[in-house]
Amino acid sequence: MPDSDQNIIADLKDENKRDLAFHMLVTTYQERLYWHIRKIVMNHDDTDDVLQNTFLKVWRSIDKFREESSLYTWLYRIATNESITFLNSKKKKNMMPLNDVSEYLLENLMSDPYFNGDEIQIKLQQAIIRLPEKQRIVFNMKYFDEMKYDDMAEVLDTSVGALKASYHHAAKKVEEYLKNTD
Amino acid sequence: MDELKNIAPELSKLKKEVPFSTPKNYFDDFSARMQTRMQTEKQGEPEHKPKIIQLLKPFIGLAASFALIFLLVYVPLKTFITSEINEVTVNIDHSDTDSEFLNILEGIDESSFFALLDESESETTDDFTNEELMSYVSANFTDYEIFEFTKNN
Repeated sequence: MPDSDQNIIADLKDENKRDLAFHMLVTTYQERLYWHIRKIVMNHDDTDDVLQNTFLKVWRSIDKFREESSLYTWLYRIATNESITFLNSKKKKNMMPLNDVSEYLLENLMSDPYFNGDEIQIKLQQAIIRLPEKQRIVFNMKYFDEMKYDDMAEVLDTSVGALKASYHHAAKKVEEYLKNTD
Repeated sequence: MDELKNIAPELSKLKKEVPFSTPKNYFDDFSARMQTRMQTEKQGEPEHKPKIIQLLKPFIGLAASFALIFLLVYVPLKTFITSEINEVTVNIDHSDTDSEFLNILEGIDESSFFALLDESESETTDDFTNEELMSYVSANFTDYEIFEFTKNN
């Protein structure tokens, strides 16, 4: 774990330094977590909500943080869980099938003023959105963030082998969509 | 990367750009907005001073549940079961006296039944003889009592 992370954790557990340490944690990780969440929920406004919820959860559960894992993977894990919880609540509200949120995400993507992709990027995002939820998260973490499988395994609580298989299937599906759709 | 070229050649040719953007100064302001939200959260946290009502809550709850169970069990029992019990006892009383009378009648043969009837008739119609009356009076009353009684009449 980097020294800066260790300092942040130590200060977070100190009553007098907690507020300042939390400010440090937010400024250090806000961008990385934002883009991770954004790729899952697609829309900027939703991402903003989920990011705030993520940091609130971190604030409330900092005492539960065990230093066996790195701060970075712990934060990613909370952000991923918060994103999935957010999507599940949307599914319930909009009476969507539990395993299919792609239509909602497509609408979200196309109506978002902060989406500025060209034709091929739109096509790529459409292909990613159509993946099953777990494969979509794995694909984004590996393809865009180039995260190590070991770190991914810690964040997603899955074995490296399962993650490799998941990424392989996802890449194949995306490739097929790119080839067969005009 | 080589792995991706093998399994998805079209995908590997694309630039790895995320086609999203954020509002201007979003990340500069986020930390400040987060601080504001944290303050609101802290103020919104409930006080942990225990109030009397909070201390009594479990007992009140327990008492209320007992009262509810009592009402649910006692009231229906009282309204439905007691009326049924009364009906049953009345029926039992009637049937008991009737059946007892019938049993007695059945137990008596015809000749003794008529003998009984004759006996009761003779008891009601026959008068006492003077001798019987005299012996009864002399056995139960003193001379003085007899004197007093005859003097008054």
